[in-house]
Amino acid sequence: MCGIVGYIGDKSARSILLNCLRRLEYRGYDSCGIAVAGGSLEVYKDAVRVEELARVAPQLDGTAGIGHTRWATHGEPSPVNAHPHIDCSGKIAVVHNGVINNYQKLNRQLTAEGHSFVSETDTEVISHLIEKYYGGSLERAVEAALGEVDGSYAIIAVMAGDPELVVARKDSPLVIGVSDRENFIASDVPALLDYTNRVIYLEEGDIGVVTKDNIKIRRCGKEVVGQEHKVLWRVEDAQKGGYEHFMLKEIHEQPKVIRDTLGEYISAAEPEARLAMVTEADLEGMLIVACGTSYHAALAGKYILDEVVGIPVVVELAGEFAYFNQISAKTGAIVITQSGETADALKAMKRLKEVGCRVVAITNVVGSTASRLADQTVYTRAGPEISVAATKSFTVQLMVLYWLALSCSSVDIRRVDSLTMGLRQLPGKVQQVLDNEDKIKEYADYLSKCEDVFFIGRGINFPVALEGALKLKEISYIHAEGYAAGELKHGPFALLGANTPVVAIVAQDSAYEAMLTNIKEIKAKGSPLIALADEGDEVVKELADSVITVPRVDPIFSPVVNTVALQLLAYYTAKQRDCPIDFPRNLAKSVTVE
Amino acid sequence: MKQAVILSAGEGQRLRPFTATRPKVMLSIAGKPILQYVVEALAQNGIRNLVMVIGYRRREILDYMGSGEQFGVDITYVTQEKQLGTAHALAQAKEVTEEEFLVLPGDNLIEADTIARFVMVKPEAVLVKRVDNPVRYGVVTIAKGMVKDIAEKPEEAKSNVVSTGTYAFTKRVFDFIEPELDIPDVLNSMIARGKLISAQETDGPWLDVAYPWDILSLNDAVLHRIQPNLGGIFETGVVVKGLVSVGKDTVVRSNSYIMGSVVIGNNCDIGPNVCILPATSIGDNVVISPFTDIKNSVIGSDVNIGPGCIIQDSVIDKGCVINGHFTACSGEADVKVDDEYHTVNMGAMLGGGCDLGNSVTAQPGVIVGNHSQVQALKLVSGRLPDRSLVV
Repeated sequence: MCGIVGYIGDKSARSILLNCLRRLEYRGYDSCGIAVAGGSLEVYKDAVRVEELARVAPQLDGTAGIGHTRWATHGEPSPVNAHPHIDCSGKIAVVHNGVINNYQKLNRQLTAEGHSFVSETDTEVISHLIEKYYGGSLERAVEAALGEVDGSYAIIAVMAGDPELVVARKDSPLVIGVSDRENFIASDVPALLDYTNRVIYLEEGDIGVVTKDNIKIRRCGKEVVGQEHKVLWRVEDAQKGGYEHFMLKEIHEQPKVIRDTLGEYISAAEPEARLAMVTEADLEGMLIVACGTSYHAALAGKYILDEVVGIPVVVELAGEFAYFNQISAKTGAIVITQSGETADALKAMKRLKEVGCRVVAITNVVGSTASRLADQTVYTRAGPEISVAATKSFTVQLMVLYWLALSCSSVDIRRVDSLTMGLRQLPGKVQQVLDNEDKIKEYADYLSKCEDVFFIGRGINFPVALEGALKLKEISYIHAEGYAAGELKHGPFALLGANTPVVAIVAQDSAYEAMLTNIKEIKAKGSPLIALADEGDEVVKELADSVITVPRVDPIFSPVVNTVALQLLAYYTAKQRDCPIDFPRNLAKSVTVE
Repeated sequence: MKQAVILSAGEGQRLRPFTATRPKVMLSIAGKPILQYVVEALAQNGIRNLVMVIGYRRREILDYMGSGEQFGVDITYVTQEKQLGTAHALAQAKEVTEEEFLVLPGDNLIEADTIARFVMVKPEAVLVKRVDNPVRYGVVTIAKGMVKDIAEKPEEAKSNVVSTGTYAFTKRVFDFIEPELDIPDVLNSMIARGKLISAQETDGPWLDVAYPWDILSLNDAVLHRIQPNLGGIFETGVVVKGLVSVGKDTVVRSNSYIMGSVVIGNNCDIGPNVCILPATSIGDNVVISPFTDIKNSVIGSDVNIGPGCIIQDSVIDKGCVINGHFTACSGEADVKVDDEYHTVNMGAMLGGGCDLGNSVTAQPGVIVGNHSQVQALKLVSGRLPDRSLVV
């Protein structure tokens, strides 16, 4: 999604802005630009990578400015459509993340009033509106302009000859980075970490004026003091640390983040931190809402809560949830979003709140919009995830779901004990999967030559099949489909053959026998079969063409080790095909539009 | 001197199974990898610009050290694809070195005192130390403070002064590296061509680990210097004596007895009724069940030890699951490494990810390969390769 940054201080704004933009690259973008204000306003923007912009943009003297990485929603990627957008006078520049719904109407009005538009973007109306309302105070002009706007936005506005940045947000993320004699603004914390770890999160509807020495925030017409948070991430956390790709680094961080999550939630001497929601006896059931990889974690959560807690669980895609009308207030709702800013998930949360459901958010970003909307937030301590393909955040989401299940008061203490023991062994088991990397690489060499791949699983490993297929397709561009193993014969069988391998995920649970039957059926169709199975499983070794072995764990934890193996498989397949692994085409990390 | 090159690429084959999944520099001693001791010693002496030559299992180093920021240093990594020798490793750093720099082995445990004076020495120079068993090392002949020659692992040592593998060089050293592969040979060739190399002696700690059981003696030596720190939660009736460090979120349950020097990591669950005696190091996320008694041992992270175990003079690597009544008592044993027999006093050496059934007994001196599985009631002895199955 789009990312915005701002700087005001004593240093040259140009290089700081470009560096902050580089840190936002993980959000995905097609064009970028900066505007630097001194006595005049200089704008450089194009449909290029930040590196390229840094090469062509000349040295600029100004010490205040704004920057933007754009992910096209209205108007194709082009130099004209790239932000920042300026007004007719060329003195006011605006960067914007979000969508203006009524921009066509505003565009017509402003054009009639004599403003001339150069781009096809929704954003440009904001700069012209600010120009229209400007009467000496940029802040007042921004406020008046936003009064006309219907939609979502995080914006920063700057004006030539005016030593201040004006910021505002509604339904799009924005943070202010606080430092001495200089201040920073960005869509997301990693952009700021090179310069400061003190941040203020803006609330919905806030308007702020940021100068080099001062931050003034107005909320509902009243001036408020923004609460400073200390970010515990280090810059190096957001860097590649010697790895070729963020994705591989993040895959390798999993034993550590699992251990951190255990420390945070599981090993606390007494399970005092029980969630209020799941101890409430009058719940009719639970609803988990999520998108993408988080949706797969949610699906696994359904099997976990169903088995451990014995409560009916419904899982919905956040985007589709909008079309369901029957929601009971007696449903305990869980919303999973890594970034805490996923538009569909936030919209679902708002609806659930309106109905009167208790909402628990599972998110990785402290202070994110999701955490502020929720009644209760459980943080996944995964650290920043830069690779567009989610890896460690998925694993930690699973860990949190296990913990959620264990904290339900109805679960027998003996069951809690044995599951806790299993959880504690997971960092070691995941490390064993990572140690087996070279073997997995060999299978990746084979898969990289295929055009289509099917992933199948049953029970709790059905979501793992979906996740394995998603990882493969999103980074290697190989067509991959995840299926519940029993569904294969209802159609996809027609596609099987010698050139379409099937990856079967086999766990030692109640689905085992049925999986063996499916494997035999697939073999009969002549498809190459790669099984993902326990190291001791001799039966599967006989049946499958090849076996990726994973360490034996309690079947309820098998999604964790199996997913890590499939992440490595996808990574090395994509690497073999020379794909841009961290930034796959057409994809963005946090999807802040519906 | 502002810069140091740390040679960290080697495997340490004699230390298998512990070096099958990590380079030798990442062996954990008293809760920290050896490499971290070297980095901290340099940082304390004001040397923060570090070049690390990495190779074998390099990701372990990258994961742990990162950019170095956490340790107050700035690390540049260079890769030695094939581990051909120390001089060849150093040559990989040629492009990133300054005019003058130190070279240190990442797999010798040192402390700040060890190199306090050496960081001010004028290149070229070598740091030497007097030891009891010089034939294991490069024996240095010195005359008037200058090195005459270095004899690597000689049959008979002319003195008990050996090279610590720590050097001060200028960029000129790169002219002498070809065709040599090891630094002592480079030094000899420099001397032969008239270069002067001074020798400076240190009496600070310099500890080398060559064989698996050396991990225990190093651990013992380092544990004597730890900072006591009682993080975590202690239930009533826990007795703590001597130098003990316990990490955060660790729970020590009632009636456990911990006698230092002992280091316990974060997020462990220990007891009730567990005895941990000197000199023992325990990693992160370790579970030790009731009535287990551990002495002079190193336990890796994510290890799960069942009830009623006796563990003495043993190394148990990360991720092992050990069921109840495991016995690894210490005793004299002849242990074979590289076709050579060594007589040592030790318990068991267990590689990572092993799974031991109930009531397994380990004979003194057993070395069990990584990811081995042993069924209940079995006796293990001798040397078992990785992924052994004992049924």
